[in-house]
Amino acid sequence: MPTLKYIGRRLLVLVPQLFLISIITFTLVRMLPGDPARLELGPLAPEEGVVLLRHQLRLDEPLPQQYIAYLQRLLQGDFGRSWVNSSSVAQDLLVRAPATLELITAGMLIVLVVMVPVALLSASPSRGWLARATRRISFGYGLLAGALPDFWLGLVLIFFFFSVLGWAPGPEGRLAILDLPPERVTGFYVVDTLLAGNFDSFRSALSHLALPAITLAFVYGGPIFKMVRASMEAALRSDYTIYAEGLGLPRRTILLWAMRNAAPPAVVVTGVVAGYLLGGAVLIETVFNLNGIGQYAVQSITTADYAPIQGFVLVAAVFTMMVYLIVDLLQFMIDPRISARIT
Amino acid sequence: MSTSQGNDDWRRQRSSAIVARYSAHPTVIGLWSRLSSFDRAILVLFVLILIVAAFGPLVAPYPPTFADPLQRLVSPNGAHPFGTDENGIDVLSRLIAAPRTDVLIAVIATTISVAIGAPLGVVAGYFEGADRRAMRWVSEGTLRLLDVVQAFPVFILAMVLVAIRGTGPVNVVLAVAFVNFPVFLRLVRSEILSLREHPYAEAAVALGNSELGVGFKHLLPNAWPTVLVQVSVTIGFAVLLTAGLSFVGAGVSPPTPELGAMIASGAKFMIIGQWWVALFPGLLLGLIVFTFAVMGDIVGKLMEPGQRTIPSRRPLSKDHIAPAAQAEAAAPSAQGAVLSVRGLAIEASGCPPILDGVSFDLMPGEILGVVGLPGSGKSILIRAIVRLLGQGLQRRAGHVVFRGKDLAELDEKKLRAIRGYEILPLLPNAKSQLNPLVRVGDLMVAHIRAHSRCSRREAHARAARMLGAIGIGDAEHWLAAYPHELSGGMAQRVCLAIALVHRPPLIIADEPTVGLDVTVQRQVLDLMIELCHQSGAAQVLATRELGIVAQYCNRVAVLHEGLIVEMGSVRDVLLTPRHAVTRRLIAAADLRAVSAAATTNTSSEIVR
Repeated sequence: MPTLKYIGRRLLVLVPQLFLISIITFTLVRMLPGDPARLELGPLAPEEGVVLLRHQLRLDEPLPQQYIAYLQRLLQGDFGRSWVNSSSVAQDLLVRAPATLELITAGMLIVLVVMVPVALLSASPSRGWLARATRRISFGYGLLAGALPDFWLGLVLIFFFFSVLGWAPGPEGRLAILDLPPERVTGFYVVDTLLAGNFDSFRSALSHLALPAITLAFVYGGPIFKMVRASMEAALRSDYTIYAEGLGLPRRTILLWAMRNAAPPAVVVTGVVAGYLLGGAVLIETVFNLNGIGQYAVQSITTADYAPIQGFVLVAAVFTMMVYLIVDLLQFMIDPRISARIT
Repeated sequence: MSTSQGNDDWRRQRSSAIVARYSAHPTVIGLWSRLSSFDRAILVLFVLILIVAAFGPLVAPYPPTFADPLQRLVSPNGAHPFGTDENGIDVLSRLIAAPRTDVLIAVIATTISVAIGAPLGVVAGYFEGADRRAMRWVSEGTLRLLDVVQAFPVFILAMVLVAIRGTGPVNVVLAVAFVNFPVFLRLVRSEILSLREHPYAEAAVALGNSELGVGFKHLLPNAWPTVLVQVSVTIGFAVLLTAGLSFVGAGVSPPTPELGAMIASGAKFMIIGQWWVALFPGLLLGLIVFTFAVMGDIVGKLMEPGQRTIPSRRPLSKDHIAPAAQAEAAAPSAQGAVLSVRGLAIEASGCPPILDGVSFDLMPGEILGVVGLPGSGKSILIRAIVRLLGQGLQRRAGHVVFRGKDLAELDEKKLRAIRGYEILPLLPNAKSQLNPLVRVGDLMVAHIRAHSRCSRREAHARAARMLGAIGIGDAEHWLAAYPHELSGGMAQRVCLAIALVHRPPLIIADEPTVGLDVTVQRQVLDLMIELCHQSGAAQVLATRELGIVAQYCNRVAVLHEGLIVEMGSVRDVLLTPRHAVTRRLIAAADLRAVSAAATTNTSSEIVR
C-alpha cells in the first residue's frame, strides 16, 4: 500500500521534529533568568523547600539528565506549575484550549464559507454583475488584507459594533458576565449551549464569538483568499481548460474540474495559516479577553511566569507540526501526481 | 516537508523568470513610465513615509512627548486635528514621530535577517546541490530544522526573546530578526538551487573556482532581485510584529512614540467611545505595511523589463500574395464546403492584427495543411475557428461558416454544442491538454455525455470501445489512469479517441505530434489520417513540418505574418513554390523527402 507507506514515512519525520521541539523549549526556559524552583515557590519560601523541589525536579543534575527528566515529565502530562497561581500548567492549558480552538475554528469557517466562494467567483472571467462585483470586492480586500494589525482591527470593530451601534457585546469574554458557562462536553460554548438546549446562552456565546472570529477571518484569511483566486485563475487559463472548452463540456463541469486543480495550493496555504493561528491569534484573544491559551501565554510573559510559556510554546509548535502533517496527507490524497512522485 | 517545498518551487519558478529578464537595464524614465498611476502613488507614499521616518520629530507641530495636563483626551479640533491622548499629548505630533521607531526597528531587523539568512541560504543551496550524499543530508537536515523553528509561535517566540533579554528597542530588533531569518534562508537556498543550473555557473566552476565561491560571487548577486522583493514584504511584517510586541508591553515602551504602544494606550478609551487615540495609529500602521507590501510588487515589476509587446507587423502589400490565394479570398464560399473561412482577422486589443483577412474553403474529407514559420499565426487560426481565443484576443472582422452557421456570431450555448461534437480539436502536447487531476475515463465519459444522451455506464462502455478501436489494449486500465501515468504518445492517442468518438465532420489539429518521439509521431499520424478517411472527417492540420504536409495533406496554405500568402494543391505549392516564404520553408525542410512525397501525392486530384 503506497498510501500507508507514505503515512509511515511522514510520521517518521515527525519523531525527530518533536524531539527538536522539546529540546528548544527546554533550552528556552533554561535561558530565562532565575531559578525555576525558587520562582515556583515564591520569594518567601524557605530555602530548604527550594532545595527539595530542585531535587524533585532534578534541577541539581547535569543538563542532559535534566532534559531527560523534563521529557519524562512531559510524557506524564506534567507541564510544571505556574508560580503566579500555583496551578498545574497542563490543567490550565486544557481548560483554556477550547476558547482558542473555538476562535480558530469559527474564523476558518468564515474564511471557507464566505471568503473562498467570493475568491472563486472573482476568478471567473465571466462578465456578469456578480463576477464584476466580487472582482471589485476582491481587489479592495487584496489591498487591505495583511496590512491591518489584528489587535487594532478588533478594537475598531468593538468601537463600531459595541460602542456606537450596540449590536455586539463588549470585550467581556466568551459569555456575558451573568451567563453561566454550559456543562462542558466539547468545550466550545457555541456547541455546548446548543447541546444543553439553552438558546439564550447560545445566542450570547455566538454574539461574543462573532467579532473576534470576523477579525481573525479578515486578517488571516488574506493569504488563503489570494491563493484561491490566483490558483483558480491559473486553472481557468490553463491548456486543459481551453481543451475542455474545445470539447464542449458543460460550463459546470469545467468550473468544478478547475476547482479541483485550485484545491492543492489552497489547502497548503490554509494549513500554513491554521498552523500559525494557535500562536498567531494571541492578540485577538487578548483584545477580546477570550481567556484562551494565547492570552494565558501573553499574561504569563508579562508576569515572567515561565512554566506556562514553556507549555504554550510546546503545545503551539506541536499543533503546527500536526497541522502540517494533515496538510501533507490531504495533498497526498487530492493530487495523484504527488503520490506518484513520492512513492 | 512538501508544504514548504511547494512554496519553494513556486518561488524558484518565479524568480528564475525575473532573473532571465533582468539583463535588460531600463532607464529611470522608462521605469517611471511603465508604472501604473496606482503604483506611482504608492511610490510617492513610500518616499513620504521614509521622509517622515527620517525627519518626523522635527516637523511635528508639538513636541511628541510634551504632555499638557489641561488638554487630556481632547477630541479632534483646530489646535489638535487628531485630538490628544490621556496624558494630553498631541496625537498628530506623536503620529508623525512614531514611524521612525517602527520603521527603523523593522528595517534594521530585516537587514540582520538577510545578513544571516542569505549566506546560510547560499551554503544550504550549495550543500543540497552537491554530489556528495552526506552534504545533501546536511542540507536536508537544516531545512527540517527550519520547519521546526518556523513551527514555533512567532509572536510568543519574540515575546520570550524579549522577556529573556528585557524590553528595549535593541532586543526587539534581535527578536524580530531571529523570527524572520529563516524566510531568507529558504528563499536564497531555492534561488541558488535554480541558478546553479545556469551555464554561466557551470562555466565558472569549470574555470576552477570553488563551488561555494561561485555561489557567493556569481549566484548570490543574481538572487538579489528576488530577495529585495521579499525584503519589502518582510519589513511590512516586521513593522506589524514590532507594533504587536509594543501593544502587549513587550516591545518599545512609552514615552518613546511608537504606534503599537499608542494603540495600546488608546484601547480602553476606544471601548468607551473615545476613538481618536487608537484609531489613527492603526490606520497609519496599515498604510505603512500596505505601502511596503505593494513596493515589493513594484520592485518585482521594475526588475522585469517592459511587458512583452507583440512584434509590430507591417501590413504586406497584396502583390506579395500569390494569385491563387488571392483568388480564393475573393471568391464566394464554394458549394458544399464543410468549412468556409472568409476574411478572418484576429487582434490583441489595440495591436496590429495577428491574423489578417484569412480565407479558405474546406471540402468534406479534405485535409488542408497550414504551414508557416513560428509565430505566423497557425495556432491562433486553429483556435479562432471555434472561438477558443482566450483572454486578450478578439475577432476584428470576418466569418467562419460551418455547415451554414457562422461560428463567429453564434451564441455561446449553440457554439458549445458544436464544439466537441461536430468540430474536434487536437492540440499540441496532448499531456498538457489533459487535466492532471481528472482520470482519462472521467474526461471521456463527460465528453460523450455532453453531446449524446446516455447513461454513465453506456458512455464508459463507448469510451472503452473507442480506445479499443484505435488500438489501445487494456482499455479499462487506461480509463482509470491519470494523465501523468500516460506517455506523450498515449496521451495523444487518447485525444485522438476523444476526437473521433462522435464521428465529427471536422477536425482541427494544431501540431498534433509535436513533442512526440519520431517513430511514435508516424504511428499517431498514420492512425489519425486513416481514421479520418474512414469517417470522412475533413481536417485543418497546422504544422511546421513540410514532410507531414507532403505526405498526408490534399492542399496546403502558407501562412506568413497572419496572412495566407500562398495556397494550392500540395504538389503545386511544394514543387513550384511562388512565394519567398514557401521557398524558405522548403529549403529548411529535408528537400528530398518533401519532393518525393509531393511527387507521389495525388490526393488533391482525388478530392477535387
